[in-house]
Amino acid sequence: MILALVVITALAFDFTNGFHDTANAMATSIATKALRPKTAVALSGVLNLVGAFLSVEVALTVTNAVVKIQDKSGAPKAELLADGGSGLLLIILAGLVGGIVWNLLTWLLGLPSSSSHALFGGLVGATLAGLGVAGVNWNGDGSKLDGVVGKVLLPAVISPVIAGVVAVAGTWVIFKITAGVAARFTEKGFRWGQIGSASLVSLAHGTNDAQKTMGVITLALIASGHWDDLENIPLWVKVSAALAIALGTYLGGWRIIRTLGKGITDITPPQGTAAQSGAAAVILASSHLGFALSTTHVATGSVIGSGLGRPGATVRWAVAGRMVLAWLITLPSAGLVGAAMWWVGDAVGGMAGALVVFALLVAASGAMYLRSRSGKVDHENVNDDWDGVAAQPVTPIPAAAAN
Amino acid sequence: MHNLDFALTGAWQVLLAGLALGAGLPILFALGIRSLAWGAGEASVNTSGVTAGTKRPLGTALGYALFAVVVLGVLLGLTFIVASGFGYKLDFSHIYPTLVEK
Repeated sequence: MILALVVITALAFDFTNGFHDTANAMATSIATKALRPKTAVALSGVLNLVGAFLSVEVALTVTNAVVKIQDKSGAPKAELLADGGSGLLLIILAGLVGGIVWNLLTWLLGLPSSSSHALFGGLVGATLAGLGVAGVNWNGDGSKLDGVVGKVLLPAVISPVIAGVVAVAGTWVIFKITAGVAARFTEKGFRWGQIGSASLVSLAHGTNDAQKTMGVITLALIASGHWDDLENIPLWVKVSAALAIALGTYLGGWRIIRTLGKGITDITPPQGTAAQSGAAAVILASSHLGFALSTTHVATGSVIGSGLGRPGATVRWAVAGRMVLAWLITLPSAGLVGAAMWWVGDAVGGMAGALVVFALLVAASGAMYLRSRSGKVDHENVNDDWDGVAAQPVTPIPAAAAN
Repeated sequence: MHNLDFALTGAWQVLLAGLALGAGLPILFALGIRSLAWGAGEASVNTSGVTAGTKRPLGTALGYALFAVVVLGVLLGLTFIVASGFGYKLDFSHIYPTLVEK
């Protein structure tokens, strides 16, 4: 029963992961009208679905990056299974809730923050509450880039800068090269450039992020004794996680798409091409080299870079600053929620505790959804002029109050 | 702070690969667009650039050749995504990429 709650919550997290990250791949194509908003999210959703199935690698050890609840083979630590695994399930459940709540809150505020950091933050918080400081993998064992510092903090600082530099260079040279070329060549050409590069980002996202949820669900299945194969993931887990992330992507986090596509800087097709190619190259190169990073940080860094690289473009640093602030507090905030959920669940205890945690999640999600109805952002108004509507202080993020 | 060392080493490699592929390919793409425009006639600053000048087949050919290079680069990226999903990785030790088992 607790297991069922964990699985539902994990799929819910996967879903928020999808709609939170649509923007990373598609915001620039939507902003430049290379693709119609609905077409863009549909394309991205399909590619995420395909991506989720493409990878047969088992991401069972995903939590090992930040917490010590599994051993190297992916099996849950034996001492945590003494109570039939319910203690471990509560940690996972509380961690997932922390990730979802933070994802929804940043979505409400239209801030592109990293879903993986939210998940890791929630897990770290729940583990701190449940197992104490020693349960967290802070710094790795020194043999490779690992732990909270190596897998989360350092890449978060470094990857936007790398992506930004690549996008600045690409954008600047592209504008030099195509200066004076007739618009009928540049517009059609860069439209395809954008679609191609954005598709690569979507596909890469599907292969990376759906795996994390599959790993977490399988870990829960093993902990509760419903699965014992460390080499494979049950097919239904794979299918449901792939569908959840694809549906989430198709729903589209319009608020975040708007911030990334219109808020930071006004994007033209050549900039979109440069930003998205830079993001794709950085994501693929780093996963090739085992350098963990967040798609969100890379995409945002490259959008800012494309704003800096285009002669005459301006970057809205106030918007960018708010985003960076959100990145800084993602890990601790999701951690706080995760820890609080664990304490609540543990205080109530057992099955009832897990139910209370789940009820709190539903209540918080419902409240944030209702809040989002005022000042709605959807595929109709996602491209409205940023500064024009910013004058109406309706919601934390500028959005047309018309609907 | 071993993690900082690992991160900085990794960062350099990612930056170099990112610049080569992430900035290099779109730059080739832009060159391709410029070649096509040149091949189709006079590259014109004004908006009525639709007045076709003398055709230059060389420019058109060069433009499509550059696009082909970009497409190859994208295929390489796709191969990488698919291959790493199935337990293979790209090996660049022979300069041209080959697939090896991880």
